[in-house]
Amino acid sequence: MYKFKPATERIIKMHQLIRDRVIQTDAERALITTESYKRNEHVLPMIKRPRAIYDVCANMTVRVEDFEIIVGNRAKNFCGSGVEPEWEGEGWIPSMIENGIWTIQADGLYHNPEGEELKLAISPEDVEALVSIRDYWKDRTITTTANAWQPEGYDELCKLEVCANASGAPLMMMTAGHLTPGFQKIINIGYGAIRKEALDFMDAHRNNLMGEDLNKYMFYNAASIVCDAAIIMIQRYSEACLEKAKACQDESRRDELLKMADGLLWISKNPARNFWEACQAAIMYQLFLALESKYPACSFGRFDQYTWPFLKADLEAERLTMDEAQEIVDAFFLKSNCFYGAAPEFVAQITGIGNTYQHTTVGGVDPETGEDATNPVTYMALETIGRLKLHDPTISLRVNKNTPDKLWECALETSKLVGGLPLFQNDEIIIPGLMEELGFSLVDARNYALIGCQEITGSGNDYSACNGIAPPYASIHYGVVLNMVINNGVNAFNGQECSVKKGYLYEMKSFEEVKEAFKAVARYITKAQVSINNYTEYLTTQYAPLAGLSISMEGCMESGKDATWGGCKYNSYGGTATGLATVADSLTTIKYMVFDKKLCTARELYDAVMANWEGFEDLRQQILHEVPHYGNADPYADEQMKWVCDSYYDICSECYSTRTRHFKAGLYSASDHVFQGYHTWATPDGRKTGEALADATSPAQGRDINGPTAVCTSACCYDQSKFMDGLALNIRIHPSALSRDDGVEKLRDMTKTYLNNGGMEIQYNVVSTETMRAAQADPQSYRDLVVRIAGYSAYFVELNADCQNDIIRRTENTL
Amino acid sequence: MKESDLTGKVYDIQGFSVQDGPGIRTTVFLKGCPLRCPWCHSPESQSFAAQLSWMAMRCIGVEKCGKCLTACTKGAITSGEITKSIGIGEAIKLIHVNRLLCDDCGDCARACHPGGLSMCGADYQVDDLLKQLCRDIPFYEQSGGGVTVSGGEALSQPEFTLKLLQGLKAQGVHTALDTTGFSDYKNIDAVLPYVDLFLYDLKHMDSEQHKKAIGVPNERILENAQKIAAAGGKLQIRIPVIPSFNDSEKNIKSTGKFCKSLGKAVTLVQILPYHNMGVAKYLRICDDPKVLEAEPPSEEKIQNLKKILECFALKVTVH
Repeated sequence: MYKFKPATERIIKMHQLIRDRVIQTDAERALITTESYKRNEHVLPMIKRPRAIYDVCANMTVRVEDFEIIVGNRAKNFCGSGVEPEWEGEGWIPSMIENGIWTIQADGLYHNPEGEELKLAISPEDVEALVSIRDYWKDRTITTTANAWQPEGYDELCKLEVCANASGAPLMMMTAGHLTPGFQKIINIGYGAIRKEALDFMDAHRNNLMGEDLNKYMFYNAASIVCDAAIIMIQRYSEACLEKAKACQDESRRDELLKMADGLLWISKNPARNFWEACQAAIMYQLFLALESKYPACSFGRFDQYTWPFLKADLEAERLTMDEAQEIVDAFFLKSNCFYGAAPEFVAQITGIGNTYQHTTVGGVDPETGEDATNPVTYMALETIGRLKLHDPTISLRVNKNTPDKLWECALETSKLVGGLPLFQNDEIIIPGLMEELGFSLVDARNYALIGCQEITGSGNDYSACNGIAPPYASIHYGVVLNMVINNGVNAFNGQECSVKKGYLYEMKSFEEVKEAFKAVARYITKAQVSINNYTEYLTTQYAPLAGLSISMEGCMESGKDATWGGCKYNSYGGTATGLATVADSLTTIKYMVFDKKLCTARELYDAVMANWEGFEDLRQQILHEVPHYGNADPYADEQMKWVCDSYYDICSECYSTRTRHFKAGLYSASDHVFQGYHTWATPDGRKTGEALADATSPAQGRDINGPTAVCTSACCYDQSKFMDGLALNIRIHPSALSRDDGVEKLRDMTKTYLNNGGMEIQYNVVSTETMRAAQADPQSYRDLVVRIAGYSAYFVELNADCQNDIIRRTENTL
Repeated sequence: MKESDLTGKVYDIQGFSVQDGPGIRTTVFLKGCPLRCPWCHSPESQSFAAQLSWMAMRCIGVEKCGKCLTACTKGAITSGEITKSIGIGEAIKLIHVNRLLCDDCGDCARACHPGGLSMCGADYQVDDLLKQLCRDIPFYEQSGGGVTVSGGEALSQPEFTLKLLQGLKAQGVHTALDTTGFSDYKNIDAVLPYVDLFLYDLKHMDSEQHKKAIGVPNERILENAQKIAAAGGKLQIRIPVIPSFNDSEKNIKSTGKFCKSLGKAVTLVQILPYHNMGVAKYLRICDDPKVLEAEPPSEEKIQNLKKILECFALKVTVH
C-alpha cells in the first residue's frame, strides 16, 4: 500500500494559513493601473495594456514570507487579492460596504457577512482608494465597451436564462483562461532571449512597415514591453530576498534566501539551471499572467515532464535530495493556491470555492517516443495533493497501457484522501481524438494537458479557449432547452419565449418528432450563444490582446501574431451542455411512458411536469422506479444518452469563428448543474423544479442502482473520443469498498476496464454518507474533507448546502 | 419441461461485488436455505418462496397513493401510523402490513410505484440471468474476477445452479460457489467441474453445538468439504466468528486443524466477524425477528483467532 509521508513544519504552517485565510483585497494594482492608463489614455490597447502591466510589475509590493521557499504574491497581502479596474472599475467590494453588507470589525477591516463560504476583508483606506477611481473608469472599462453594443438577438438569449449570459453579467471576463501557457519555453529559453527576438524584429523594420509588418511590429513591441515587465518583477523579488537575508539571524535560512535571490536574478532573463529555478520560474510566469489578465485560469500543463530533467540533473550532481525536492513541490502547489482572488459569493459558488483552475497534469507518454513517461515528479505531485489534502489545483493523471502499477496505487490512495483527485485521463482515447478532431500532429497530441475543470489542450501551443471566452462560460442549460421543447418555446420557469416554437408535447405525434424538436431548439440556442462568443472573440482581439501570454505560446513569436489573433500553432474553442442525463432520462421517460408502453398520455405527462408534479406523485414514482435510467447498463435508456451527446456534438460542429473552424463539444458541468437546477422547471424524468440536474456525463443523482461497473458500461454508450473539449464522469465509492488490502486493486481494474472500453475520464469521491452528514453537523471537525462536485474539488464544509446535498444524493457504491 | 424454461428464484444481483472471491465479481443470490443461523445477515434468503418486503422509507403515504390498500384482497394492509418520511421529508400516514393475513401474493407490490412494497425473490430463466451476468465480462477479465453464486443455499436449487454454472463456464467466466456445504454430495459432484472456487462456510467443529444453534449437525458439511478436496476442488474456507458460539480458541484450533487436513485444496481462510446489520433486514419481511443480537467481537479477539489459524500454516484474512 502506498504511504504518504508527513510534510515539513513550514509547509504545514503555510498550508494552515492558506486554509484558514481571510482574503484581503487592496487597491494597489488598481491605483497603479489607473495612473498608467491615464498617462496612456489615447495609446492603442495593444500597447497601453503592456505598459500598464509593466507599471504594476515595477511598482507593486513584493513579499517574501519567513516560511516561503517559493515566492510570488498577487497583491499587497499574503494570499491577498487585487482589483483589475480596466475590466471592472472599482470592483464589486465598495458597493458592498456602501450597502452595509460588509461591516467593519474589531480588526479595523471591513468583512463580508458571517456564513459566506469565503472569508474576505478590506481596509477602509483601500475602500477609499477604490472609490477614488470610480469616476475615471465609469465609461472606460473594456466591459463598458462590450456591453454598449451587441448583435441583435442577444436580449432573447439573456431573457431565456438558458445559458450563462442570463443574469446581466458583464459580457467579457476571462480572455486568457482555459489554456496551457508555454511554461517549458519560459523555463528553457527565458525572457531575455524572447525579448531579444522581439527587439530584433523592431530594429530590422524601423521605418519600414509594409503589409503585415505593421501588425507584427505592434505585437513585437508589446512583447518586448511584457518581457521587460516580467524581468523587472522577478528582479524585484530577488532584491526582496536579499533584503530579507540581510536581516535574517538564522544562518541556514540566510543562505537559503541568498540562494533564492541569486536564482531569481538569474531566471529573470535566463533559462533555469536547476529544479528550484524551474519551479520558481513557472510560478513567476503564472503570477505574471494573473496580473496581466482578469481571471486567467491558466493551467500548469505537464509539470512533471518539464521539471524532471532539472531534478534529474540535481540528483545526479547531488545538489538536492528527494526530500528537499518534495518540499519544493509542496511549496509550489501551496503558492499556486495563493492566487485565488476575492469573488462575490454567487460567483465563488459557480466557479468553485477556492479554485484557481491552475489544473496540473502529470503522467502520460513521452511526446517523441510514445513510451510511458512517469518519473519521480509524477509521484511528488500526487504526494503533495495527498499529504496536504489539497483540493486545488486540480490534478489530472494521464494513464495509458504502460502506466506503472505503483503509480496507479499512489493515485488511488490519493483519491481515498482527496475527493475526486486525481482525475484519470486516458491517453489511448485523447491522443487519437486530438489528431482526428483538431488536426494535432502525433507529437503534439502526445503532449496534451488538462485545463480548467477537465478540458483538453495542447502544451504551450494551443489557444484552446475551452469553454469559450465569454463569461462565465459557454454552457447551454439543457434542462431549460427541454422545457421549451415540450412547452412551445416558453420557459415555464420565467415565462420568457424562444423564437423557435415546436408546439406542445401533447401535440407531437411520435417520439421522433420530440427529438427533432429538441435538436431544433438546442441548435438555435447553441448557435446564439456561440455567436456571442464570436463577438467576444472580436472584442478580445481589439481591446484585450494578450502579449504576456503570447510570448510563450508556440506560433506567436514565430508569426508576430498575438494569441487572440490566431497566432498559436493550434486554435479552437468549445463549450458544453449541462444536465445531459436529466435530458436523456426525460426523453426515455417520454418514449417509455407515452409512446412505447402507453402508461400515460402525453397530456398527462405534460400536465404533471407543468404542475411541478403537484398532484401527480404516483405518476412521478412510477417514472422514478419503472422507467429505465441511464447509468444502469440498460441499452433502452443509454440509447437516449447517446443521442443527446451525439446531437450536441453535431450542433457544435456547425459552429466556428474567424480564428478557428473548431468549436469543440464538451460534456462537463463544473458545479453548474446545481445552480442551473435552481432556475430549471421540473423535467419529465421526475425531477422537481429547483432540484439539481445530473452532473457532467454522470447518471442523475441516485438513479444508477446497478453498481459502478454498470455506470462505466453505460458511459461508453457513445463515442467519447469526439468530445475534445473534455468530459467528466463522477463515481462515488463508499470507503468500506476499498478498506481491504485488495480494494484499491479492484478499483484500479474497474478504472482500467472503463478506459479500455472507450472511457476518456473518470474521477472518484471516496466518502460515505455518514461522514458527510457528520461534517454538516460539525463543520469544524471536518475542515479537511475534500469532495469533487463535477468540475472541481472543494472543502466539503465550504460548499453551500445544495452542493453538499447533491453529493449525498449521488448513489453510494458499496458492497 | 424444456431446459430453457428452467427458472430459479433469485433475490438479488450485486455488481462490483468485491468481497466474494477474487477480482471484480457479480454475486447472484439465490433464495432458500436449509439452515437457520440465528446471526444470518440475509434473512430474506431463508425462505424458498417469494416474500413481501416492506420498506417504510420509500412509502409516500396513503393520502398521496394508497393503491396497496385496494390492491390487497386479503385485508392484510391497513392505514398505519403517521410519521415523518425520510424519503420525501414530510409527515405522511404509513400503511400497516398484517403478516398473519398476508399470503405473499404480490398484488400490493405490483400496485406500489414508489417501491415501499416489493417482492423479495423473482423467477429468472438461466439464459436471461446469464445475459445480465456476462455484461461485466470485461471487468472480470481485467481483474481476475467473475461470478459468485450465493444464497441462501444455491445447492438447494441444484438444477438451476448447475445450468447457471455451466453457462458461465461456457463463456469462460471464473465461477465461485458460496455454500454452506449442507447438501447431498451428488449436487456438489454435479457442479464440481464448473466451479473454480468454493467459498465454504465452517461454523462449528462440534456437531452437537452445530445442531443446537443451527438446527442441523455438521458431519455432512465436513464430509463434503473432504470430498471436494479429494476431487481436486479449490476451497476458500469462511468462518463467521459468532460471540459465545464458535469463538473459543478450542473451536478455532480444531477448525484450523480440519482446514489443514484438507491439504492444498484450501487456498485461503477468511474470518468473518459477526455484525448486527441483519436486524433491519428482518423487519422488512417479518414483525418479530428471531435474530441474535450481540456485540461484534473485538479487533483484538479477531487478531488472536487469526494467529491461531496461522499456526496451521494457513493463509488467513479478516473481512
